[in-house]
Amino acid sequence: MRVLLVDDEEELVATLAERLDMRGIDATWASEYRKALAIVEEQEFDIALLDVRLPEINGLELKRLIEARRPAMKFIFLTGHGSEEDFNACSAESGKDYYLIKPVQIEVLVAKLNEVCQGPGEQG
Amino acid sequence: MSSYHGKVDSLGLSFFGSMTASISHELKNSLAIINENAGLVGDLIALSEKGHPLKPERLLTIAENIRRRVQTADDIVRRLNRFAHSANQPVVGVGIRDIFACTIALSERLASMKGVSLSIAPGDEIEVQTLAFVVENLLWICLKNIFLLAGAGQQVVLGAHAEASDIVVTLRCTPEIPVKQLETTVAAEAQPLILFLHMQVQADPQNSALRLRMPIRFIE
Repeated sequence: MRVLLVDDEEELVATLAERLDMRGIDATWASEYRKALAIVEEQEFDIALLDVRLPEINGLELKRLIEARRPAMKFIFLTGHGSEEDFNACSAESGKDYYLIKPVQIEVLVAKLNEVCQGPGEQG
Repeated sequence: MSSYHGKVDSLGLSFFGSMTASISHELKNSLAIINENAGLVGDLIALSEKGHPLKPERLLTIAENIRRRVQTADDIVRRLNRFAHSANQPVVGVGIRDIFACTIALSERLASMKGVSLSIAPGDEIEVQTLAFVVENLLWICLKNIFLLAGAGQQVVLGAHAEASDIVVTLRCTPEIPVKQLETTVAAEAQPLILFLHMQVQADPQNSALRLRMPIRFIE
């Protein structure tokens, strides 16, 4: 599985990527949206884990930009807020199951990545 | 009278809510990073049990990352504590640059989300007798509306100078933004605070700035 992680907290995504690599998941990260788009232009991914609140853009907007380049990619949103507003926005975009609140346990994240990539959760 | 004060209180509550929500997000990020670093230590130990060598320098780096993040979280909590106490502070003497620094610290994360940088112009400290929380609330409304008008790369410099018995605060925006529009939106949204502080809000299009004039000594 190839995963793109995008969060403005560089230390968070770098550490998450390393821990996913240890579990056999090929993870690449970016800490700002332009870098994420540049990576998507060059590499293929199965799924992206996007922070809902990014500098200059939000995760939902970034999802649409990535989808325009890679329509088959799937998405999970990550947020520190856990607010109803975020929940509703992410649910509308990707289904309520594809929304994780920081801090997330690595086992929960891995299970969710597998579920979204392999499971029947096609959300249209 | 009570209705008028009620509007000031209502704006203050909204301000308090926005700031504490933003601060809680910052704390969540610090906790998430501490969580990942602690998890990484566990992963490295698990790998060492399978025969991979565990490098002490790697553990030291992770320990330092955790220590640094705990320090960041402590700074955030200290800021939250200062802000919480300011909400019920009476009229006191406070430096305008202290008010700027507090407002910037509270707004910085939201500013960076918009790609806006905030700074304080060089100059001498001016002590004002005021309700710092209300002034910070008003400055936040100004900044929030600047964020709506500005694009990434916007710089906002907060400055102040004394004019007779007044202090004039300026929020200078580079590159230019429509400051007349800013004046209108701020005057509408912050009207109860403007009246409460006996303040005048005026656009300065030549300098792409918003000017806020208020008495140095708060008038009850």
